[in-house]
Amino acid sequence: MTTINKQRINLKVNGEEWEGWLDPRENLLKVLREEIGLTGTKEGCGRGDCGACTVLLEDKAVNSCLVPVGKAHGKNITTIEGLSRGEELHPLQEAFVKEGAVQCGFCTPGMIMSAYALLKINQQPSSYAVKKAISGNLCRCTGYTQIEKAVLAAAAKISESGN
Amino acid sequence: MTYINATTIAQALGALREQKGKARVIAGGTDLYLQQLPEILVDISGIDKMRQIQITGEILELGSGITHAQTFASSLLQERATCLSEACSYVGSPQIRNLGTLGGNVVNAAPAADAAVGLVTMDARAILVDCEGGNKEAPLEELYQGYNRTTLDNSREILMALKFTVHHPGEGSSYQRFSSRKSLSLPIVSVGAWAKVKDKQISGVRLVAAPLNPSPTRLRRVEKELEGAFASPETYRKAGELAREEAVTRDSPLRGSGEYRRHLVGVGVERALREAVYRAMGIPSEEKAGDYYQ
Repeated sequence: MTTINKQRINLKVNGEEWEGWLDPRENLLKVLREEIGLTGTKEGCGRGDCGACTVLLEDKAVNSCLVPVGKAHGKNITTIEGLSRGEELHPLQEAFVKEGAVQCGFCTPGMIMSAYALLKINQQPSSYAVKKAISGNLCRCTGYTQIEKAVLAAAAKISESGN
Repeated sequence: MTYINATTIAQALGALREQKGKARVIAGGTDLYLQQLPEILVDISGIDKMRQIQITGEILELGSGITHAQTFASSLLQERATCLSEACSYVGSPQIRNLGTLGGNVVNAAPAADAAVGLVTMDARAILVDCEGGNKEAPLEELYQGYNRTTLDNSREILMALKFTVHHPGEGSSYQRFSSRKSLSLPIVSVGAWAKVKDKQISGVRLVAAPLNPSPTRLRRVEKELEGAFASPETYRKAGELAREEAVTRDSPLRGSGEYRRHLVGVGVERALREAVYRAMGIPSEEKAGDYYQ
């Protein structure tokens, strides 16, 4: 018997349909980076400890390194590339720049995606809610104060502009 | 290589039967994915029936596919299975809690699994179905067979649901956990307590500690001593002392010395029992669950 290692996988990434033949055990992170070419999502630990690879799966933050792509079949995925509108940055991205919440930048996409997941369900989060929301994301450069400030600033801006 | 996203229990069981022991069940996958994955996987996380919280009278049935995040967010569980809700709030990180399921937390059988401690504290029973059409119900504790091992054969069986009696008025529960960080950390010691209080007397109690053994461990001697005790700080302190005597804690390079951990079992029991009693009596709690998105 021949073993067919690949399966047809359909994903909806940042609103766009993608289809490919893949080993369904391959992790979503690798597929995003190497098959689809979206390298904004980073690989840190590769085992669900650091949060650098955070993406949204059906609007919920997950570690893409822990998701076999077979599980994501037919699902909506949002990556950091899906946040800006053309050249216009998302308020979270803007706030991270403005508040100096980025140093080496490696944790930043994951941090922003965790914050984005929070703001989807809580538009006026407390500091505590922000801390909890990014508690699965490690930053080894800056400390977390500026990141927290940036998320709160973005939330305020989004509420003001009403979108 | 085949990855089957089952949408019904019948479909999942059918796939397991067809593969004759070669397939393996996967749910959230957060533990399983770090191991070598088998060729054939049956993903049960998309089965709606297994993601439901159903209450009939006082009996709650939780689909095993419910994630830790869902458990934590449920106001029903916060109020009527508080220790389980709190336990789930500590699992991994938000990202892990969005994927990981209650069933997976049990079946993976990690000795320190938070949700499993909460479930044993609620005296939960496991409902299992197998691909030959059989089904059985057993106390959760009986499912454990050793470190990271349960009696469940996940090439032919599915843990479908977990079932327990929710808090009645006059009952309460709490989960206390000690760890080196607030997030993404293993517990050094965790303790669950459930208490029933009538006329300021403890008329029923369950105390569970982990990780002491492969499964969450009931401290039955302490429970027995507490029957009929007056709900007072002295009782909680005494419970902690007795727990230190009953608990057998090993040295662990990850979690700390056995002596330190035994001390913490006592502190955990004292706090968890106090909180459980407060909640049973309707006294405002010193700690609060469910504030994640506030």
